[in-house]
Amino acid sequence: MSFLELSGLSKRFGPLTVVDDVSLSVERGHVVCLLGPSGCGKTTTLRLIAGFTTPDAGEIRIDGKVISSKGSSVPPELRQMSMIFQSYALWPHMTVRENVAYGLQLRKLPKEKIVSLVDDILTTTQLAPLAERYPGELSGGQQQRVSLARALVVEPQTLLLDEPLSNLDSNLREEMRFEIRRLHDAYRYTTIYVTHDQSEAMTTADVIVIMNKGHIEQVGSPEDIYERPASEFVARFMGGANILAGQVLDERTVDCGGLKLKCANAGHAAGSSVSVSIRQHTIAVTTQRPTDEMNWAAGTVVRSVYLGAHRDYLIELASGERIRAVTSTSNPVENGQAVWAHLPPEFCRILTR
Amino acid sequence: MSTASDFRIPVRRGSIDWSKPVFMALVAFLAVLVLLPLSWLVYFAVTDQAGKVTFANFVAMATDPTLRRPFILAIGMSLSVGALSCIIATPLAWFVARTDMPGRSFVRIFVTASFVTPPFLGAIAWEILAAPNSGILNVVYRSLFDLEPYDHIVDIYTLPGLVFAISCYTFPYVFTLVSNALDRVPSDLEEASAIQGASLYTTLRRVTIPLVLPAMLAGSLIAILQALTMFGSPAILALPAGFHVITTKIWSLFQYPAKPNLAAAISMPLLMFTILLLWTQRSILGRRGYTTLGAKSGVPRLTELGHWRWAAWAFTALVLLLTVVLPYLALIQTALTRTVAEPLSLASFTLDHVRFVFFEFSATSLAMRNTFLLGLMTATVGTGLALVTAYIVSRNVVKGGWMLGYLATIPVAIPGIVLGVGLFLAYSNSILPLYGTIWILLIAFLTIEMPAAYQQLSSAFRSVHVELEEASRILGATRMETLRTITAPILRSNVIATWCFVFIGTIRELSAMILLTTADTKLVSVIIYDLNESGDLGAISVLGLMLLAISFVIITIANRLPLFGGPKLTSLRG
Ligand SMILES: Nc1ncnc2c1ncn2[C@@H]1O[C@H](COP(=O)(O)OP(=O)(O)OP(=O)(O)O)[C@@H](O)[C@H]1O
Ligand SMILES: [Mg+2]
Repeated sequence: MSFLELSGLSKRFGPLTVVDDVSLSVERGHVVCLLGPSGCGKTTTLRLIAGFTTPDAGEIRIDGKVISSKGSSVPPELRQMSMIFQSYALWPHMTVRENVAYGLQLRKLPKEKIVSLVDDILTTTQLAPLAERYPGELSGGQQQRVSLARALVVEPQTLLLDEPLSNLDSNLREEMRFEIRRLHDAYRYTTIYVTHDQSEAMTTADVIVIMNKGHIEQVGSPEDIYERPASEFVARFMGGANILAGQVLDERTVDCGGLKLKCANAGHAAGSSVSVSIRQHTIAVTTQRPTDEMNWAAGTVVRSVYLGAHRDYLIELASGERIRAVTSTSNPVENGQAVWAHLPPEFCRILTR
Repeated sequence: MSTASDFRIPVRRGSIDWSKPVFMALVAFLAVLVLLPLSWLVYFAVTDQAGKVTFANFVAMATDPTLRRPFILAIGMSLSVGALSCIIATPLAWFVARTDMPGRSFVRIFVTASFVTPPFLGAIAWEILAAPNSGILNVVYRSLFDLEPYDHIVDIYTLPGLVFAISCYTFPYVFTLVSNALDRVPSDLEEASAIQGASLYTTLRRVTIPLVLPAMLAGSLIAILQALTMFGSPAILALPAGFHVITTKIWSLFQYPAKPNLAAAISMPLLMFTILLLWTQRSILGRRGYTTLGAKSGVPRLTELGHWRWAAWAFTALVLLLTVVLPYLALIQTALTRTVAEPLSLASFTLDHVRFVFFEFSATSLAMRNTFLLGLMTATVGTGLALVTAYIVSRNVVKGGWMLGYLATIPVAIPGIVLGVGLFLAYSNSILPLYGTIWILLIAFLTIEMPAAYQQLSSAFRSVHVELEEASRILGATRMETLRTITAPILRSNVIATWCFVFIGTIRELSAMILLTTADTKLVSVIIYDLNESGDLGAISVLGLMLLAISFVIITIANRLPLFGGPKLTSLRG
């Protein structure tokens, strides 16, 4: 049995189904990222888990005990969770110390204990010198750390984070991403992390959940999601891949507008319309006409960008479609030159459209 | 947090969720507060003295000219007040908001003073100034031109006099709405018009006025509503003039021999009128409410009036002289001299009235105690109720929470005197014998102040991010703990401001109280009215100035507070 289980969870706002039959199991101590485009229902899912809203169908269980269902729900204050909000939600009328101590005071700990616990966490999050300041007197990154300290000091079983880094500049984001992972590894709480930034998800998560229009598209490890996307949506959302539309010829061969591609996976009926995804950096480009036709696409370079470590080509195929290829910097090809691109079968994946 | 220690943070154990019971209690309380008097009103309107169902009351209303005439007069009076307020306030607002007229910043202070003045006190001040015989203006006029004792230039005891005396204290509603609207008219629109060669007059007519027209209309509608539902000023000025308006007619039906059924029946059309007026006003302003639309965008361009600025200044000075300066001077002079007509000088100066009011007249100390006790109780309980109501509604705490919002807003449509009738009927029977106690007054005040307090606090809630509360919940606080430790402190200045406005509203209220007070439960406002009947203007002036002074102190305190939305004076009513 998993620690946190969502089963058949749905939430509607009026006619709009914002969370649609979501089922998910989260192991204790894992970091799970909910990843998806804006408006796909990530925040709503998180708020359901926190107990701020009740589902219209389905249930949420912790350690097998139902905490949310259509009829009843355990109030947020009894869920042993902490949450970090997109807005940080620091209380403007309390100092940093008071903000952090709040959860402990509610638990009626003795005064000295509160002071020592707060001091510890403030030191860990490098906030000790700022303890007597008000949130209005802190920078974005410092506020972020206060919000983290406030959430962690009560030793939650579960930590919920809603796009915690979206308001930070990129340097700080890097640093905080590492910080969050480090604190997680130290205390091993179960973490649900919402973001719409795939690189953030890749670097923090044990498991990534891709959401689209309220339902789950794919659940898997970062490598699964990146290397073996289960749908065209996932491949497009993760980026870095070319998507070609085509028809299945036989088990593993797809005809994409004349270009025949042998692929790594099977499972689609002959004649069905599918997409083939191929990562940009697995494509090889040559000016020599190949002997074979299979998995070779003829085209013209319409743009080439030198990126230091790589070269990024935009190639227009005979069918008019354009693909991108990221290759080594050796053997540069000029714009307008005819080329052949090799799409290795082991990296071509057939996807449901 | 050291991993070395084996100390575990204790888990928060379940405590009772009070939100459902609180919600239920609040619904029940507000329903009783609002619906009980209304139900009794309807019941009395359709029954006779013996309790039999009848339409005789309505038939009488349609056929009896002594009942019909007050309606016609009241409507005529209110429409005139609306028009006059608009005519006074619109140019004033434009001068202040958009021109280089000298002394603009003082105007707002004077308008606030007019706002804070209870209309009945203004009416009495104008009685002192413009009564046909003893009125100061008439005395001065006679002595200047050496005329006969009964000659006069102004007579406040007339319908136009009444319209004027009411408009002096209703024009601020139009002023506030129009000047707020003008603040938001983008200067570039006006500039664009001016650049294309339009004259100032054309720009005003084609650009500015159309943009503020809704505010003018809405403001006038409030003025009309205020005039229609006002009891004090008509009672002071129309009764000596020998005519009734609806509110005074309703009141007179409670004089011996009392006809409560008829009073309830003629309250119905008045209630309909106010609902209609409010509905029209809301639909003009749109759902968002004009005052909260957008923010001020930069400094508006000021129109240079040239020589006309002195004409504008003269107009403004005249308005402020008539609405604020003269009435206040009249009150001060009356408070400190033996007889009204004597000019204030060392020889005529006396503290007799002050001594009389504070040390000799036994009724005042009781009335003052009642007034301030009720002011404190209403402000505290009312603000608390409004806070919890606004919280439940704006945070969707329970299903059907929006109902509370409606319940809390309904009283805004109930004229004070009608509420007085309803409460009298509801609480003077043997089931709930509250008449004659201060509790019925507390109920009345809470009902009257609830809409404004609720409105003010619910707009404050909108400025507090929900996540601030959720952050507290998830850390282990219950709803009530969150409301107490997070929400209320964050809204502290709004809460204090609301408290202040409820307090001021309470100490100046007369319309509903006139039917509800007894000898033991007199209030300062009612004492002022009683003293006016006996002609004791000196004592009235002392009491009135005291009320004003307290109101100003409290307004000043409230205005000093750093508010999110800014206090809205429109929440005051007479
Ligand atoms: N209280 C509400 N009432 C009505 N609709 C809502 C409410 N909350 C969210 N929605 C709608 O539900 C959808 C999903 O919202 P949600 O906030 O869960 O998206 P999200 O995935 O977190 O998006 P983002 O990345 O932009 O934060 C949106 O279309 C939103 O407009
Ligand atoms: Mg979101």
